[in-house]
Amino acid sequence: MKAYQENTLEGIAFPVITVNQTGDVCAISPSVSPFFKRNSKQRPTSINDLLPNYMAAFGGKLKAKDPLETTLPLFCDTGRKRWIKASAHPLNDGNGHIQILFEDVTQTKTRYDLALQAKTIAKVGSWTVDLTTNTLVWSSMTKRIHEVAQDFVPNLEKGINFYKEGTSRERIIAAVSDCIATGKSFDLELIIITAKGNEKWVRSIGHAEQINGKTIAFSGVFQDIDEAKRERLKYEALSERLKIGIDSANVGVWDFDLINNELFWDDKMYQLYGVDKEDFDAVYDAWERTIHPHDKERAAKEVTMAINGEKDFNTEFRILKKDGSMAIIHAEAKVFRDENGKPYRLIGANTDVTNIKQTDNRLRRLLNVTEKQNQRLLQFTNIVSHNLRSNSSNISMLAGMLDTDLSAGQQTEFIDMIKTSAERLDETIVQLNEIVKIQATDTSEMAPVGIKTTVEKVLQSVNALLLQADAKVNLDVDENLTVLGIKPYIQSVFMNLVTNSIKYKRPDVPVEISISAKVAKGKTMVKFKDNGLGIDLKKHGSKLFGMYKTFHNNKDAKGVGLFITKNHMEAMEGSIALESSVNEGTLFHLQFINQAN
Amino acid sequence: MGSKQIFLVDDDVIFRTASSILLKQNLPDYGSVPFENGEEVCDALLALTQSKESLPELMFLDINMPVMNGWEVLEELKTALPKICQDIKIYILTSSIAPEDMNLSKTYDFINGYITKPLTTNDIDNIKEVLE
Repeated sequence: MKAYQENTLEGIAFPVITVNQTGDVCAISPSVSPFFKRNSKQRPTSINDLLPNYMAAFGGKLKAKDPLETTLPLFCDTGRKRWIKASAHPLNDGNGHIQILFEDVTQTKTRYDLALQAKTIAKVGSWTVDLTTNTLVWSSMTKRIHEVAQDFVPNLEKGINFYKEGTSRERIIAAVSDCIATGKSFDLELIIITAKGNEKWVRSIGHAEQINGKTIAFSGVFQDIDEAKRERLKYEALSERLKIGIDSANVGVWDFDLINNELFWDDKMYQLYGVDKEDFDAVYDAWERTIHPHDKERAAKEVTMAINGEKDFNTEFRILKKDGSMAIIHAEAKVFRDENGKPYRLIGANTDVTNIKQTDNRLRRLLNVTEKQNQRLLQFTNIVSHNLRSNSSNISMLAGMLDTDLSAGQQTEFIDMIKTSAERLDETIVQLNEIVKIQATDTSEMAPVGIKTTVEKVLQSVNALLLQADAKVNLDVDENLTVLGIKPYIQSVFMNLVTNSIKYKRPDVPVEISISAKVAKGKTMVKFKDNGLGIDLKKHGSKLFGMYKTFHNNKDAKGVGLFITKNHMEAMEGSIALESSVNEGTLFHLQFINQAN
Repeated sequence: MGSKQIFLVDDDVIFRTASSILLKQNLPDYGSVPFENGEEVCDALLALTQSKESLPELMFLDINMPVMNGWEVLEELKTALPKICQDIKIYILTSSIAPEDMNLSKTYDFINGYITKPLTTNDIDNIKEVLE
């Protein structure tokens, strides 16, 4: 043993000692004491004085053959743990002396530990392929991911065979081949079947190591992403389904950032609003600009109310599209608030309900017409039964009285009255039949009917009446004007109006009738004006078109004409209305359709 | 004509003629006065109350009439001439068998009855009892 006293390491600037095979210190550099924070007077006799478990780590005897490296913890007086790396190099001096160099690796070691910890948590393993020896090395985590024992020895082929047959295996083979051939890196998400038969999503990243353009090795990381991947796939499937759902429901979704006044629209929104993406500057005003002027204020107010929490946003408004068309939008939204209740975001959905609304309106109109028709039919049955009954009861009463003692003159009078009643009964039944026929009109039988020719024909047939009343008719209707209707109905309508004008003329005032027509929005409005007695609308307005209603003290009035006229007009999907004042005349507005709906 | 009068309000001339003969046969002490519609009878009744002449004992009132129907007459009497409602025996005489009309007639407590046409001697016999 060389004398320690000689201390061959006196001039060395870093912490190094020379020990023999049993760890006894032979020489020591001056920086050892400060390195180990020891009093320099107390010289260590054994390496164990410096690093307590050093000798134990080597079984109490150091071999003076190969270099040895170990990292051991050292607890300072302050309680802090230091990691000391001790690198031992045999001196080959024949005495079996070994020189040990100390290095503080606390920082590196901590970092390494943290990284290791992170890798374990993130289930990241690593692997290396050395192409020169054709060996594959897996880290323990890589083995755990493959669910193989820690003593498992992989090779390239075995490694690749863990990938699921099909796409996954094909892709890894292609990537590895490419990596070997051209040095191209890869980053793939693939499925492996573990040793225990479990299917697992993994991420495999590989980088080539090349020398002179030749790949000699490649290595990479291997990560278990199964949970995340499955979650992501589930989410993707879900959002795909959601997207399909939203797409097919024609729902547009928008997202309004209240803080930055930024409005995001999905593609469907642009479609619904008929707006080009470039034209939309993604602010609230851009939305407001699209709204129909009549609905703008209300819609804006409803947004404000929703933001203020006064009312949920669930409304309808009209929008004007770029092409000038109008659409009805149903909109719903949810307001998001922070923990202080301050709103910061609005997410909503819009649907185009134009078609639904239009159908709805049409149904409502139809229902309205049907309801009115029903009302009239009810009235019809009541009043018809009244008319039938009044005539039949007359007959039975008169017939019964024939048996009593009547004078010969009275008998004849009674028989005449029975005849009259029977005729009236017959007439009532004819009218009934007529009305039933109108109610059963098939609108598909409607055809174009020329207004002018039809009216002229009517005027011709009542020519005698017109002459007698000294009537003048101004017919200002275009020769070619046709409406969709049923010719006999239109004839009957004009016939009734013309004869009414004559029947209810003002005494001593010659009858004057003006007929004109105007086409607007696929409909024809015919005005029929006379200068007769007029009708007190305040008194009779509500029952004007009722059956068997009469409005003048005219004994010929049967109260059927206007009732039938209205039924005729409605059977042709038209309508009739009137304006009138007593002793000034009456103006009828007849509305016909020009084409089928 | 006797001093006792029956007002017969109906727009149907055949019915008026026939029933006035029937009434003459069965109530010979009474004379019937025809009216074509509600307005005529209201005017007549109003004139009678002002002239202090004697009112009719009995009135038959049709419902479905032009110008002024039976219901309008009853409303007019109720508001303008309430005394008459008590003094005259009023019968609705109509061809209507509609339940709505019968129900509506019940809302006028001053009317004496609802008779559906035809008018029969049976009906007149019942009325006779009320008159006596």
